[in-house]
Amino acid sequence: MNTSSSSNFPEQPEIEKAAANWTLRLDRGLTAEEQDKYSQWLSEDPRHGEAIALCRWGWDEFDRLAGLQTTQHAKIDPDLLAPGNRFVRKSPILKFCFAVVPLAAAFAFMAVAFWPEHAEKQSVFASKSAIELIARLEQKTLADGSVIELNRGAIAEVEYSPEARRVRLIHGEANFTVAKDPDRPFIVNVAGVDVCAVGTQFNVRLKDDAVDVIVSEGIVRLATSKILNSASDVLEEPLLEVGHRAVVKLGGTPKVNRSILSPSDMDRELGWQPRMLDFDDTPMSEIVLEFNRRNEVQLKLGDSSLADIRFSNYIWSDNLEGFVRLMESNFGMRAEWHGSSEIVLRDAGKNQAR
Amino acid sequence: MSPQNVEQARWFVDEVLPHEANLRSWLRARFPAIEDVDDMVQEAFTRLLKAHDSGPIANPRAFLFVTTRNMALNQLRHMRYERPPDANEVDPLSIADEVNSPLESMAKEEELQQLILAIQALPNRCRQVMTLRKIYGLSQKEVASRLGISVHTVEAQGSIGLRKCIEYFRDHGYLAHFKT
Repeated sequence: MNTSSSSNFPEQPEIEKAAANWTLRLDRGLTAEEQDKYSQWLSEDPRHGEAIALCRWGWDEFDRLAGLQTTQHAKIDPDLLAPGNRFVRKSPILKFCFAVVPLAAAFAFMAVAFWPEHAEKQSVFASKSAIELIARLEQKTLADGSVIELNRGAIAEVEYSPEARRVRLIHGEANFTVAKDPDRPFIVNVAGVDVCAVGTQFNVRLKDDAVDVIVSEGIVRLATSKILNSASDVLEEPLLEVGHRAVVKLGGTPKVNRSILSPSDMDRELGWQPRMLDFDDTPMSEIVLEFNRRNEVQLKLGDSSLADIRFSNYIWSDNLEGFVRLMESNFGMRAEWHGSSEIVLRDAGKNQAR
Repeated sequence: MSPQNVEQARWFVDEVLPHEANLRSWLRARFPAIEDVDDMVQEAFTRLLKAHDSGPIANPRAFLFVTTRNMALNQLRHMRYERPPDANEVDPLSIADEVNSPLESMAKEEELQQLILAIQALPNRCRQVMTLRKIYGLSQKEVASRLGISVHTVEAQGSIGLRKCIEYFRDHGYLAHFKT
């Protein structure tokens, strides 16, 4: 009985072929008409989403090779990687490049060292930007003010129209904070399951065999579309409220498991999301507590004099090392790593004096 | 939060941030129609960090420029602006390459080798398309004019190339890097 259902679907190689074609079209940009066709194709079969995730990942992997040739000052050469060309046969030339570059980097370093003013400017600037950038998961603010946070490896696509705000979660896990707009529902489509909201916050994770939805604010409606339901009816689920979790099993007849999470369970489930911490004239002791509550690596103050220093700053909760670097570079502290789970901050001046 | 992350932070500050000013001024000069230069640069950094997090990168500077250029062209297309007349001539990697970008340590070279071997195993046309698009960062249109073939052929050859590469990944254990 299980085998008969698979014959309705195209074979895997066919799906992968279509997915590769779409990847190339996405790479050059879709026309409006193609956009519709693409949406249609994705919704036809949950496996299409998986295949496109694989193809897009594969396509992007090759960006790692960007600029491979620049070390040689070569002109654009379509046959750079031709068999028999210089990169082949265990690539002695490539090895050569790798060996040469550290030398070039050393010269660059020397050049900077001779202009200390320039170097100093660079480092202050660097630590400031690093705070904003490092260790942050991807966050996107959409045109209407809604915010999507993508967990590592997640892929989502956004399609806004006058009637609806649609987002398709193709891979992984994401959290949505939806701006209120009663006239334009916000719909997350994930493997044939629609998660609809008007103004709310919720988390969606696409697993191998299920879609997992957790509501942290407002109300969400769940609808599993006909793709999953062979009876071809759209199955509507009762509303999900704050603290509710729904796990929709994929494949065959959709099964929805509902449960209610305690606040501490919610915290744990949604713990991957970094939070923006806003410190306004806050003593160091409190800042340390706040970081320690949210990170595995624990921060300690090695000198009691540091506890009362006050800072105004905003920083992502998962950017502990960015914070530590900032303390080191701009506030005269020194960090000591104790194993891989503890960082002790000390007053650098004090230690020097000792 | 691990020592590895600290290492990543150092790498970012040492090897990536120094290119920021260059990237910005290049982006402004080359695509004056782009308004949110900050967003775009930020996004390029995010993508670079993600890529660096999951494997080696041949040349962080080139990765940044190619990624940013792809985003810029994409956005222009959506904005329906005219392309700058010389956009087709641009080789983002040709600018300011006096100082070589530092490459990753040799220990990680293996993964880049796999990618190179996957391209090398392709039929000629596919290989050329992948090389121009990915290593030189040319757009599909530019690839077409450089090879003297139609954009449609570029798309088709690219698609075949991609499928064969994924097949190669499958046969050589590279797919283990997928599924984060």
